[in-house]
Amino acid sequence: MISAVQFRNFKALRSTEVSLGAFNLLVGPSGSGKTSLIQAILQLRSLAEMIDQPPVGPLTPPSAGPQIVFLFPPPFDGVRVSLGCAADELVCNRLTMHAPEPLARDAWIALRPQLASARAYLFDHYAMGRPSPRLAVPELASNGGNIAAVLAAWETNAPDAFRSVQADFCRWNPEFSKLRVAPGSDDTVELVAQIRGEEDGVTGANLSQGTLYSLAILALAAMPDPPSLVCLEEADRGHHPRQLREVRDALYRLSHPRDAGVERAPVQVIATTHSPYLLDLYRDHPEEVILSQKHGASARFQRLSEVPGIEGQLRDAPLGDLWFSGVLGAVPEE
Amino acid sequence: MKLAILSESPADEAALRVLAGYVLGVPIDRIATNLRARGWPSVEQILPFVLRHLHFNTGTELLVVVVDSDDTPIHTPDHDAPGYFQPQCRICRLRAVYRRTTRNLPPVHGRRRVLRAIGLAVPAIEAWYLCGRDTSVTEEAWVTGLASGRLPYTRRELKWRVYGTDRPSLPFEIRRAVEEVSRHRGDVRRLENDFPSGFGSLARDLRAAPGAG
Repeated sequence: MISAVQFRNFKALRSTEVSLGAFNLLVGPSGSGKTSLIQAILQLRSLAEMIDQPPVGPLTPPSAGPQIVFLFPPPFDGVRVSLGCAADELVCNRLTMHAPEPLARDAWIALRPQLASARAYLFDHYAMGRPSPRLAVPELASNGGNIAAVLAAWETNAPDAFRSVQADFCRWNPEFSKLRVAPGSDDTVELVAQIRGEEDGVTGANLSQGTLYSLAILALAAMPDPPSLVCLEEADRGHHPRQLREVRDALYRLSHPRDAGVERAPVQVIATTHSPYLLDLYRDHPEEVILSQKHGASARFQRLSEVPGIEGQLRDAPLGDLWFSGVLGAVPEE
Repeated sequence: MKLAILSESPADEAALRVLAGYVLGVPIDRIATNLRARGWPSVEQILPFVLRHLHFNTGTELLVVVVDSDDTPIHTPDHDAPGYFQPQCRICRLRAVYRRTTRNLPPVHGRRRVLRAIGLAVPAIEAWYLCGRDTSVTEEAWVTGLASGRLPYTRRELKWRVYGTDRPSLPFEIRRAVEEVSRHRGDVRRLENDFPSGFGSLARDLRAAPGAG
């Protein structure tokens, strides 16, 4: 949905551009701009929700203040949407479109609902384990805290999605034979995972951190009406290294649904990680990996596929080891 | 026969279990399950630890190890000459690791050492899955391509031919792997003919094990 983002003076992203594909895995040290990219997309989403018709104007070089420019794939490849503000302002909340009329107006009509549907997630297992009030609109919260209510709604309204989550949850966590949602007090619902071969169930509050994160990833992958763009921070968090292949597959189900036998529009995925084990799994797709390079107080992005000689290096070492070694950059400065 | 498999994924392991059963012709008692490596050169690095673990802590009789060749040289009969070592050949390298590791191990569990069966998937295990179904995929085609600088296919293309995508889900990959190797129905002669170096080495090692059928 977004083909590239250009940054000028936005936090550590002083002057850099990142092209985005259907699936994008960002790796790099803290402060290298991974979260800043997601924040920029969320700011665009917020403004898209509010602005019916943005001002249209030429794309001018930025003043001292920050500027973020979004580019789009065809048929909107002639359109730019910029966010900017003055040097003394804290938030880039001036949205401007840059395209000849009437393309700008038509583009905004088409792009606005997509941009407004972008979502970012950083799961919180404490919130996920608690009972959740039932929902009128079953949309997964950014911390996953309402996952019990979302699944309860799917059980009624989207039974295929619910059954998919149930089946994959038990496959990922074979100690459980069934996942269900049980009514709690005050019109709440809570997760219950049935232990295989036993009558006992484990409530959400007592499920392990990793088990809850696996459920959240599966819920993302099974969303019956997914957003156009999903950002996921720390995609590896809480998962055993061997389970990361399943995490990768679940995220591919969003970005490449046809490859997984799912008929729906692809969801653009932007995920971050600090795990060399997750990175290993992208050896055959270096174009899906973005290195966040930090140099002093500034940072820039680089596609792994654009690193000179990367194919030869990948023959001799796991990708995660190459990254950890420092030869690819995107490591903390020492 | 008590067998362990060191592989890169559950899909590879499932396929190798079927193929090893076909070659051995005896019931397999798979122990020490879930040995995993993160691809070459991780296999070479962890093999000594895996061998010592299997030797001292289990009753394993035979360890099966299969790695992808990528674009390294394949193992040829010349490499089997006494004292010969081809430093880029992954079979030669794994055999050398095996020799160094097992040389001074004391007998345990009623056997001197865990035996090894080492295979080389040229260039990747998906090539074996296509054997008999896609006649353009053979070791000879790959070696000719390497020599001419025009590779007949890529790893990614092999995945497409097997899975219809280069991003298969793990359950689908396991299912396809087992489906494809099960086509051979116990007769691996075609695999040995089309992949005489990589699969042939594995089959010869397996057949040399005492108790093989």
